[in-house]
Amino acid sequence: MTLTNKFTLWYFAVMLLVLLIGGAIVYNEIQWKIGKVEVVRHQRLNDLIAAQIRSGGDYSNHPTRKRATVSEIPVDSVPKGVASYYTRGPGWNAEFQANEYKLVVTSFYAINGKHYRVTTYSFIPSFYQLLPGVVDSFKWILILLLILVGISGRLISKYILAPFKRTIKVIQSFDLKQKKAIRLPETRTTEFRELNEFLKRMTDKALEDYRLLKEFAENASHELQTPTAIIRGKLELLMESEIRDDQAILIAEMQNALERLSRIHSSLTLLTKLENYAFEAKTPVDFSQLTREILDAFDELIQMKSLKLETRIEEHIYLPLHASLADLLLSNLVSNAIRHNIPGGMIRVTLDKTGLVISNTGREPEVPTDELFERFKKGNPGSDSIGIGLAIVRQICELNNFNITYGYAAGLHTLSISFTSKLLQNLTLPLQSRLQP
Amino acid sequence: MKVLIIEDHQELARNIHDYLAREGYICELSSTFSEAREKIGLFQYDCILLDISLPDGNGINLLDTIRSEHSQSNVLIISAKNALDDKIIGLEKGADDYITKPFHLAELHARIRAVYRRKNLGGANIIQFNEISLNTDTFEVKIGETILDTTRKEFDLLLYFVVNKNRVLSRQSIAAHLWGDYTDNLANFDFVYQHVKNLRKKISNAGGTDYISTVYGLGYKFNSHKHGEE
Repeated sequence: MTLTNKFTLWYFAVMLLVLLIGGAIVYNEIQWKIGKVEVVRHQRLNDLIAAQIRSGGDYSNHPTRKRATVSEIPVDSVPKGVASYYTRGPGWNAEFQANEYKLVVTSFYAINGKHYRVTTYSFIPSFYQLLPGVVDSFKWILILLLILVGISGRLISKYILAPFKRTIKVIQSFDLKQKKAIRLPETRTTEFRELNEFLKRMTDKALEDYRLLKEFAENASHELQTPTAIIRGKLELLMESEIRDDQAILIAEMQNALERLSRIHSSLTLLTKLENYAFEAKTPVDFSQLTREILDAFDELIQMKSLKLETRIEEHIYLPLHASLADLLLSNLVSNAIRHNIPGGMIRVTLDKTGLVISNTGREPEVPTDELFERFKKGNPGSDSIGIGLAIVRQICELNNFNITYGYAAGLHTLSISFTSKLLQNLTLPLQSRLQP
Repeated sequence: MKVLIIEDHQELARNIHDYLAREGYICELSSTFSEAREKIGLFQYDCILLDISLPDGNGINLLDTIRSEHSQSNVLIISAKNALDDKIIGLEKGADDYITKPFHLAELHARIRAVYRRKNLGGANIIQFNEISLNTDTFEVKIGETILDTTRKEFDLLLYFVVNKNRVLSRQSIAAHLWGDYTDNLANFDFVYQHVKNLRKKISNAGGTDYISTVYGLGYKFNSHKHGEE
């Protein structure tokens, strides 16, 4: 539920409450006021009748007596300290032949030593007659308010929340790897300004940390290269001197370790570079062609392990991928499929417009399969691999918005990459029309 | 062959120097941009090994000087950065080849020879060693007059051996030479053994001398002093 809707709903609830109370107040007020006005009118009428009695004429047919009763009463019936009182309640209206609300006002007068009681009455609008009117008018007020609040809430919140929405947009498009500080819109709203300031501080810090980390990784990898090269050279020179067999084994072991070191090193350097978006695709590569070339390059290894290769490669699949990345992606996948295979096993490569699927036979993975894409995670801890190939593959896929999934079922490892990026779809259309005139 | 090694890391430069010196090459070292420029201005070299990242300048900039003063020198760029841009710019500016640290010395030597062959020996594409001759155009191997039926990989392997004769070649170095980047993920070197075995068998069957021997624990060696009767 959006903030606007929440506010509006609460506002509606409060409004309803206020209107209910207001309705009750208005109703009571009107009821009371009408009664009050009537009482005053009747008192004036009573006073008038008293004046008529005082003047002594015969007024019995006078219009004032229509709803009046005048009676002389003994002095002890006169209430003390009260000149007049009134009662109200339902009463029979003979004129309209209906039960109505009757107001009776009784006044006492002492005229020429005699005591009179003058009572007049009239019918006033009752509770039940007033209520529908009050309810009706409040209903209309409520509807009007609902509409106005609904509309204005939307418009006003759009205006007030605009800086917030812009901030959200900026934050959503923020990417550490692009190394660009965020620029948040100016706002006069205190809360948003605080939020923006906080976000700015936070992202700047993150960027700085990221930069330092990367710089360290880059420096470390760069500085490692030369010593590795030196050691390798020295070992090669040492190999040529007169050495005993046991020394030769030592050298060979050192060389193996060194080989590993340099492989880890170059893979890490590559990963760093991938993260820096150092590879930009200039022209689309013919992925079909490349897949076949890579499979050819690995042909002897496939044969050496007596693996059966099944391919189904669709022609003219073009991908907007840097050529060396495409090469890396494929060679990593294929060599993985070979390395983690069993002798006499099988590799199946399927390439079409939707994606690339490589399945191979192999032993069951020993670590959770979703960890396989992490660096230095290996499905089989005993293997010689350094466990970075899939991390590179994933990085390349992420870079190009490809979707990569891994699954293991019935002795078959399956890696699927789906080329779902919008970029690709935009790209293949003109290409295809060019290829098939 | 006269070689200038422009490399700021002394130890690395010494490695290259030691390796090439045993081939009878005359090597000179220079560790800075300015020293290198001076040497290039004064002397003539057959081959210049150029490290791109020098303390006082970018090695790429030396290429212009080299190209204007010595059109005949071969230039091989040595780079610590496996950056594609460096490679492209370097080759565009007239470098002949490009090698990335850390490299095998035998590989460097093979590259130097290849570049040298391409440029200096004109149309002569035949490399002859005793009865073995290799044609780098047709990838054909002959033992005496017999044409050997070799694969491309076996040809490359034999060439690598002949160029680096009397050197111990490690399995890693051979794998890197034959498969280049694709060895990255392949930990076992069984296939090197397989190729060497096949090659030796083919040469022997054609009546050639089996010059290649296994060096215990380390790799293989092409012995030029070996004779047929052994």
